[in-house]
Formats: sequence, C-alpha cells, structure tokens
Amino acid sequence: MSKNLNRRDFIKTTTATTAGVATIASGITLTTFVNANESPVTDEKRWGMLIDTNKLTEADIDEMVNACQEEQGWGGETHSTGDQKPRWIKKLKVQDKTTKKITSLPLMCQHCEKPPCVDVCPTNASMKREDGIVLVDRHLCIGCRYCMMACPYDARSFAHETITDQKEHMPRGKGTVEACTMCVHRVDKGESPACAEAVDSDAVIFGDLYDANSKINQTLKKIQSSQIRADLNLNTGVRYSGI
Amino acid sequence: MSRLLVVFISLLIGSISVHADSHINIGDRAQELKDEGKSKDIHPDLREIRIMHPEFLQHKRDETLRQGVRTKRNSLKACVNCHSAADTNDEYVPIDQHGQFCSTCHQKVGTSVDCFSCHRTTPKEDL
Repeated sequence: MSKNLNRRDFIKTTTATTAGVATIASGITLTTFVNANESPVTDEKRWGMLIDTNKLTEADIDEMVNACQEEQGWGGETHSTGDQKPRWIKKLKVQDKTTKKITSLPLMCQHCEKPPCVDVCPTNASMKREDGIVLVDRHLCIGCRYCMMACPYDARSFAHETITDQKEHMPRGKGTVEACTMCVHRVDKGESPACAEAVDSDAVIFGDLYDANSKINQTLKKIQSSQIRADLNLNTGVRYSGI
Repeated sequence: MSRLLVVFISLLIGSISVHADSHINIGDRAQELKDEGKSKDIHPDLREIRIMHPEFLQHKRDETLRQGVRTKRNSLKACVNCHSAADTNDEYVPIDQHGQFCSTCHQKVGTSVDCFSCHRTTPKEDL
C-alpha cells in the first residue's frame, strides 16, 4: 500500500468523495426535531375552548371546578371569607327573563384576544402569551387589583392569605392576583386543561382555534356558538354554545 | 509565646470548622450526586452558579412564563429537587428554612429569598 499520495491524486480523490457525499446528501431531507418546549410559543396557534351548556349537567360543572382546584391547588384557604375566596372557575346560573329557563355554565378567564386586564395593568404583570393564553406574571404583580376591576367576567381572584404547599407547577402567593391559566403547564406538554379532561362527554372541547383540522375549529364552523359579552369585542378564546 | 500560639491555632481551627459548616447542607440529592462525582455535570463552574444564579433564574422565569420555554436548565424546580434535605421523619424541610441550602448563604449576606413566597419549598409529592 503506497502511502505516497501525490498532489494530483489527492485532488482527484477529494473531488470524487465530495461529489459523492453531495449526491447522497441532496436526497435526504433533513428533519429537525425541535422540542416544542425549547422554543418560544408563537401566534400560529390560538388556544381556545368550546363549552356546550346543553350537554353539561350541573354535576359536570362541579366536576370541572373540582378538577381545577385539584390541579392548581386553590380552594383550601382557611382565613379568606366570602368574596375573598379564590375562584378560578365557577358555576354560574343564568335565567331567561321571559321563559324562566335556567342554564348553568362554567365561567373562568375567557382568554380574550384584547384583554382589558392587560390594558390596565400598571406593571405589565397581566400579560397575554403569543398563543392567546392570558396569565398573571406574579413576579411583577403588585396586587393593585386593577385587572380584577377591569375584567368583565369577574374571572380573577386575589390571594388574601399566606399560601404554603403549592403545586409545583403553580406558584401562588399572598398579595398577588391569580386566575385560570388554561392549565398552561399541561398545554405546553401537549395535554388538555384539567377541566376539559374532567368531563367525559364532548361538552368541553379544547384545541387550537386557528387549526382547520382541529375538532374545536370544525365544531365552531358547524354549530351556533356565542361569546359572553360579545358586545365588548374582546374576541374571547372560550366560546359557549347553548346559551 | 506558647499561649499566643495556642490562641492562634484554636482560632485557625475554629475558622476552618465554621467554613466547613456553612456548606454542610447542600441537600440530599445534591449530596448523592456530589458523592458520585457528578456535580460537575450539573454545575461545571461552582463560582459561576454561586454568583450568577439570580440572573439565571430571572432569565429563565421570563422565558418560561411569557414564552412557554420549559427546559430543565436553570429551573427553580430542579434546584429545589436536588438541594432539599429530609429531616429525621423522612419529610422534606422547606428549603428556605433556617439551616437549609438557600437560607445558609442568604442569611449570611442578609438578602431575603423572595422566590418561596409563591413557589413550592419542597420537592413535589411523588419524588
């Protein structure tokens, strides 16, 4: 085996090898596996929920509230009284004035496209993620409660007492405002919010409102649905049918 | 002269033991990793993490909360998971309590740890 490679041979071999590699490589489509959690969320998605009140029984709504408490760790406050108690999601009864028909519905943060709570926040703590989930950044929250005043849905609560033994994924502390996070920690893992999972039927559909193939998008195209206080033009992420 | 020497040596030993004490409680999991010699995999530069951890945590918190970036690197949960210590009843002691990992230095330099007025102070239940 001759180890003496002259200059001409070297160039020939190198060129052939390079050409060969280039030919093979051109046929391969490089697939990059980007973990969704490693890159920032984008506005290509808008998370939303469709709640069909006709399919929901009162027991279902109670289940949803319980699931939320269990998941996020609120509701065990002992020193707060009455209106001070946090309510991230609540069962609401509405009655038609004429027919007296009573409808029960779960009400939580509606995750508006133009959230009034974000508009009024003096410290930028109240914020909307690119994918439409409205959150409180408690690192910045000073507890002024302007957002609670501004919210047309009364969706936010104020932590009035010292809280210990929080859920690992849901820090909560005295003196800050809190609300439904659409279970953002689960959504980021590709799961559904706890309240949507708690209902067996398809009375609560969670998904990407923009995605034409998603169940929520297709259902919303088919059926009559409404936004609560649609007159405010907030374009909520949570939609209702049957009210 | 010999008396002076005794005083000097006792002071020296005292200072060494104080110095050693201040780093005794690094947490159960962290101690295991240290014993296995893996601590360098997590914190390649101890000086860096000691000085820069507030910046790391603050950067990470904004990325996580506002952009949904949920990596384990510089995650406060991961800090607590490794640096918590269990007491004699096998129950975790809150990490911000006296003598625990966070408070050891923070008390010494007189800075409060605000993280745990909201964040969970012990590893999650099923650890």
